[in-house]
Amino acid sequence: MNNYILLPVVGVGMLLIAALISNIIKYEGGANPKDPRKRKVVFWLFFVLNPVLTYAVGLMTSPASGIAKTKHMDSLPVGLGIGVVVYLLLGFILSKVMKTSKVGNWF
Amino acid sequence: MNDQLYVIGVGGTGMRCLESFVHLCAIGMLDGQEINVLTLDTDAANGNLQRVRELINSYRSIKSGAVNDGGTPNQNTFFSSKLNYYHYHTNYMDQGTRDNYKNLSRVSESSAADENQMLSDLFLDKETVQVFDLQDGYRAQTHLGSQLMFHGLVEAARNLASGTNISDTEKSLGEFIDKLEQSGKNSRVFVFGSVFGGTGASSIPVLPSALREAIRIRSKGSDLDLKDVKFGSTLLTSYFQFTKPSDKQKQNTKDAVIASSAFFPLNSQAALQFYQGDPTVKSVYNKLYHIGWPLESRSVDSGKSETITGGANQTNSCHFVELVAACAALDFFTAPNVDTTGEANYVFRTGQYENGAFNFRASDLVGVEGNKDQKLISKLGAFLSLAHITLSKNKGGFGKKGFLGLKIHLENAKIYTFKNSITEADLEQLDLYMKKFGYSFTKDLEFKSGWIYQVRNSIAPGKFIFSNEAFAMSIKELESLDVGKLFEDPNYHWEATAKVLGMGGDTFQPWLKSLTDIEVNAEEHQLTHDKEKFIALLHDGIMQSQHSQK
Repeated sequence: MNNYILLPVVGVGMLLIAALISNIIKYEGGANPKDPRKRKVVFWLFFVLNPVLTYAVGLMTSPASGIAKTKHMDSLPVGLGIGVVVYLLLGFILSKVMKTSKVGNWF
Repeated sequence: MNDQLYVIGVGGTGMRCLESFVHLCAIGMLDGQEINVLTLDTDAANGNLQRVRELINSYRSIKSGAVNDGGTPNQNTFFSSKLNYYHYHTNYMDQGTRDNYKNLSRVSESSAADENQMLSDLFLDKETVQVFDLQDGYRAQTHLGSQLMFHGLVEAARNLASGTNISDTEKSLGEFIDKLEQSGKNSRVFVFGSVFGGTGASSIPVLPSALREAIRIRSKGSDLDLKDVKFGSTLLTSYFQFTKPSDKQKQNTKDAVIASSAFFPLNSQAALQFYQGDPTVKSVYNKLYHIGWPLESRSVDSGKSETITGGANQTNSCHFVELVAACAALDFFTAPNVDTTGEANYVFRTGQYENGAFNFRASDLVGVEGNKDQKLISKLGAFLSLAHITLSKNKGGFGKKGFLGLKIHLENAKIYTFKNSITEADLEQLDLYMKKFGYSFTKDLEFKSGWIYQVRNSIAPGKFIFSNEAFAMSIKELESLDVGKLFEDPNYHWEATAKVLGMGGDTFQPWLKSLTDIEVNAEEHQLTHDKEKFIALLHDGIMQSQHSQK
């Protein structure tokens, strides 16, 4: 599959996993709850993991050799960049749209 | 029902009944009402009086906005009644002039000294009743107490009328009787007190007449027609006992008379005969609620070597019968009509007794008319849940800031409505109230029961609405308590999270989530400031959880 499509899809997948984990983190009682910080950490952790994982997926899906491989490797950084931007942008939008929910803690 | 509501707590038992009544107001059983509360005692330093005074002040502070005026009545929320607080205590402080009957009455000083002394001696024992210290109350000498309480109110009215030497407490009484005079026949007055002790038992029979006399003197001619004003009271018979006075204690002239709880059942019997037969009481009071405790009376001062006659040390724990008394006032105030024609109605209810204990239902306290029992279950359950949320989950009971945690939770969810309008001091007031209602731990981690724990403890091993788990006392149990599963009947339990592999299944998380979704309707609740709005939000969240029960 084209890196320009695959890698942003991987980014979206990472975002969904971050959202799932953020929702699993329980609200803590008391005047010093740590749960919002934990959700933020999850979001940014996946942000950091995103290019690594995306790059790995790019490598794994690379053709064995030839022009196809060259093209694939050339498009990898761009796809990777798009994946990161998509993760960040969608994460920001999701956090603002659902600001009172747990993912609202991301931003 | 457009009557103005008045509650009078008299003596130690009256104060504890009042305490229960204030908590009923806090849970929202008297929505939209403004209630004028008067505490009446002989002992300004009495521990029970101090406790209820602090409770009312805390309540008023919670309801107040920018000005400490006690706020306004609200609808369908916690703290929905407005309480106006008035106080009066007789002055028996001045040693040598006002500290006992002999000095106060000055029977031997007038021109008819001999006759007065003989008359006094006829009714009041010269060596004991005439000389004991009045500061701690009338010590079950109701024949003396009725005369002196009447005198106290009349004396205060005279001072108010003359405008000289008015003490703070007389001023406060003046404001109360002014209100009563203004509302006249549109008044419902409920008096809390025992019939077996001293101050309350002395005051209940004479209070309506004394108030009328005080109004007549205070306003120089105006009158209160006792036939038109609706009066209700409790006929609360013996339900607790305390250490017998030692011989050594009785040797002191000041303590020549000490009430002995051994006589309380006898006092109760005599009092009931009096209330059954006295034409004045029967014509003035419209509704009298018989309340008694048929089981062995509980000791309120185990381990003490001497009788506590009064003062700051008299801080008896609350008892279930005081909640019953508070529910009697609720019945009196919420009845569509109170019959003022004819003689007093005597009212009683009973509870289910089996296996050596009482198992009370809400309907045993408030009846089923207008779903009052369901309302009591729902509101009391909601408030207990809120207590455990703030005290147990947010650790307010362990010295942390319980309500601040809820405000921060809202801010973490980007809800900044209360960010600047509610201060930490406001939230501390709520924490303080909840500790009085629920429980707290001392700095040494010693558990201290609040009102509902004390009430529950007084009927143990019997039950009332809630499960035993709702009254956990260890930190570990309290921290793991499920705030939505406090009821004995699981049909009242809140919606819980899904349970997977033994994990989850708690009700606290959905409730916290619900807080961020609720829009409080200020108009519907008749809210006037953000503190009320914050309380209404917590109330609505709990009500929503109760209705989403699984």
